[in-house]
Amino acid sequence: MGRYVSQRLLQAVPLLVLISIVSFALLKAAPGGPLAAYEANPLVTPEDMVRLRTAFGLDQPLHVQYLTWIGKFFLGDWGYSYAYHQQVLLLIGERLPNTIYLMGTVYVFTLLLAIPIGVLVAMRQYSWFDHAVTATTFAFLSTPTFWLGLLLIIFFGLQLGWLPLGGIETPGASFDVVDRLRHLMLPVLTLSLVGIGRYTRYLRASMLETIDQEFVRTAWAKGLNERRVVIGHAFKNAASPLVTIAALDLPELFVGALVTEQIFGWPGMGRLFWDAATRFDYPILMGILAVSSGLIVFANLVADVLYGYLDPRIRYT
Amino acid sequence: MSWRTFRSAAVIAAALSIVATACAPSTPSGASAAPSAAASAAASATAATVRGGTVVFAIWQEPTTLAPHYANQTVAGLVNQIVVEGLAMTDPDGTYVPQLAKSVPTVANGGATVSADGKKLIVKWELQPGLKWSDGEPVTSQDVVFTWQTYMKDPKVVSRAGFSEIEKIDTPDDLTAVVTYKSLYAPYPTNFYALMPKHLLQGVEDISKTDYNRKPLGTGPFKFTEFKAGDSVVAERNENYRKKGQPYLDKIIFRSVPSSTVAIAQLKAGEVQGMWNLLESETPDIEKDANLKISFSPSNSVERIEMNLAENSDPSDPSKPHPILGDVRVRRALIYATPKAQLVEKLLFGKAKVGSSVNPQGWAADKAITQESYDPKKADELLDQSGWTKGPDGIRVKGGVRMSMVINTTTGNKTREQVQQVLADEWKQRGIELKIVNMPSSVFLSGSWDDKDPRQRGSYDLALYTTNAAIDPGVHMSQRYHSRQIPTPQNKAGQNRVRISDPDLDKMIDEAGSILDQAKRKELYGKIFRKINEIAPAIWLYERGRIDAFRTNVLGWQPHAWGDITWNTEGWSLKK
Repeated sequence: MGRYVSQRLLQAVPLLVLISIVSFALLKAAPGGPLAAYEANPLVTPEDMVRLRTAFGLDQPLHVQYLTWIGKFFLGDWGYSYAYHQQVLLLIGERLPNTIYLMGTVYVFTLLLAIPIGVLVAMRQYSWFDHAVTATTFAFLSTPTFWLGLLLIIFFGLQLGWLPLGGIETPGASFDVVDRLRHLMLPVLTLSLVGIGRYTRYLRASMLETIDQEFVRTAWAKGLNERRVVIGHAFKNAASPLVTIAALDLPELFVGALVTEQIFGWPGMGRLFWDAATRFDYPILMGILAVSSGLIVFANLVADVLYGYLDPRIRYT
Repeated sequence: MSWRTFRSAAVIAAALSIVATACAPSTPSGASAAPSAAASAAASATAATVRGGTVVFAIWQEPTTLAPHYANQTVAGLVNQIVVEGLAMTDPDGTYVPQLAKSVPTVANGGATVSADGKKLIVKWELQPGLKWSDGEPVTSQDVVFTWQTYMKDPKVVSRAGFSEIEKIDTPDDLTAVVTYKSLYAPYPTNFYALMPKHLLQGVEDISKTDYNRKPLGTGPFKFTEFKAGDSVVAERNENYRKKGQPYLDKIIFRSVPSSTVAIAQLKAGEVQGMWNLLESETPDIEKDANLKISFSPSNSVERIEMNLAENSDPSDPSKPHPILGDVRVRRALIYATPKAQLVEKLLFGKAKVGSSVNPQGWAADKAITQESYDPKKADELLDQSGWTKGPDGIRVKGGVRMSMVINTTTGNKTREQVQQVLADEWKQRGIELKIVNMPSSVFLSGSWDDKDPRQRGSYDLALYTTNAAIDPGVHMSQRYHSRQIPTPQNKAGQNRVRISDPDLDKMIDEAGSILDQAKRKELYGKIFRKINEIAPAIWLYERGRIDAFRTNVLGWQPHAWGDITWNTEGWSLKK
């Protein structure tokens, strides 16, 4: 097991380097550049443009720019943001807690609701409850988050005036748990409603498959009560697909939700990435892409390892 | 010493009286620019001004850095100007007024002199006595020197305009800085628009690594106390502020929101009390709400369609004229064929002014300048005269060339797209085919040869966008309309993208940039602006306004054609 994990981790290194080369090439291939913002400034002279290009290293050939970036990256220097005039690591560091706070809540909230609902609808297949849940989940699944988020803002924020329209807390106020929670509710609701829909659908399908299998019938025949049969036998086996999806969603915890953070003005990683993309702030984009690709590779590994726990038939070699 | 004390007392008294008159209800300062709403807000602020309170102001862009020498966003200037001040500033009408200096040095008052050989400019700045940074340290002429040195030393500063022209700065005493420019640098009054504190930053290797990057120390009415990335910036009253009894507010909080739509929603809900930068199309909705007021001011940013005078190729050879636009009669016909007033009325809800000149505001503007107004008949006449006759498909032809052109602008700008559609339709009736090709601003406005900005390489016919001249038009004119600045593969950075090349114009631009007498310069720039309209390299569509909005309980704000709405926050207050 230990050997398997370390092998997988070693294989990941060349893969991640390859991903970084591709991302860098794609970013640079997109037309435009970070100096566009300076063009509109009436104080900026052509001499200033030349100086800035050199100061930011944009005058170097592409392969030199990439090698400089990756060389420094491995030494812990993730580069300097052109727009923020800050170290990228620092910028990521100050946004990460906000994103983990939002996405972590979403993650836990989604799983806490999706698991019981998914199990219940499978046990009561074709009941009115199953139909209601199926209809609702499909509705939310097919709703884009940017639209759902806006609807929630309009309804709860503007019409009813119950909840704030955006931000992470009331600006300038001292720390207040209630205030924090009020700001958290709408973005969490937006992301969870979609997430619950997804997870419920998967769990329902795999539970239905499992409860008809012989070992479940055996469990019933042994005279076990419903709770033991459903949770101890059926759910544990049906959970595999859910685990895969939940594990693969783990990187989102760190990378954030691009659109939702933008709509709610949430100062997280998603918004940082969005803003950096519009400004062609390559070092920030590369930093976040490196984090996310690393996490995705890692999350895949976690999913594979978890399979072994849920299904002892799987062996790692 | 006693004489000096006397003098400082006199200056403070004078300064106080200026403040007092500025606040007097009878002074309609900037009333011409300000709508009655602002004037009444300013007036009622004096009746019984409430002290204390917090104003939350929504900005729909996030300031990335607030350090004056790095900041390159309008929104960063909006936020940092409540803290960072300079030696002089521009008042709402576009005249220079002292900020930290006692007065603005001019040739007339003896503060600015030309060296004996006529080549150098010597400007003597005198600081107001007793000034303090918000941390209590004195402001001295050493800070002036330090500011210059920082701009020249740090490779990442936004612009060295002016600073690179400085030869030396002498400091005979703590309150006097004598700046010697290598050339007759006419825009000197606003060169030191932001003073940097030497005592704080002296010896710092890289200022971007210090707190100054996000919470610059200044002399303004407020000081920064908190910067939450992507969320908010908090500024609190500066107890060491030079104007006694001000500011009235305890705090101003700038809140980053994702879009102007969200800012409007928060303004209506009362979550914020003011907001920055509305689109023209958003104003009717705000005007309906009795709790909100709009601040409108004209600005020097002229939305225009620039015409490429040289051939459209990549790269363009400036010596070859454009097959269609190379003829001045065609260019004038296009101006006649453009219904500017209708665009302003229908697309901009009247919240703009029909364009007339490259530089319509400020001391250099000549308000009498006009550009051809909408007259389709004259357009047709001019096109007929110049030999363009209608072909079988209704599009004009001359010598085998069809009168078909491409107009470029930025993607995703609804107003600009609407303008393009109106013109395509309008010009088709004149026998001109207009094709619309839009691209992201990171390309179209990059100003970069390597990023393939078509304006830079000359691979365009018509370019729809906006840009603004600074209060001193010197730099703008010499960079955009002097033949020396036509971009070529060798000179990639030139900004004369219309490729205008006129010896008379070159001569006048050079001359206007090298004399100091403002009255004479104004006269010369008037001639330059007229000459440009004669050559007609652009259709001046409309002058865009600066539009901000407040809840009615915020008093004391005043629109400013040259600066952002936060220029006088020391006078802001809340209604009881």
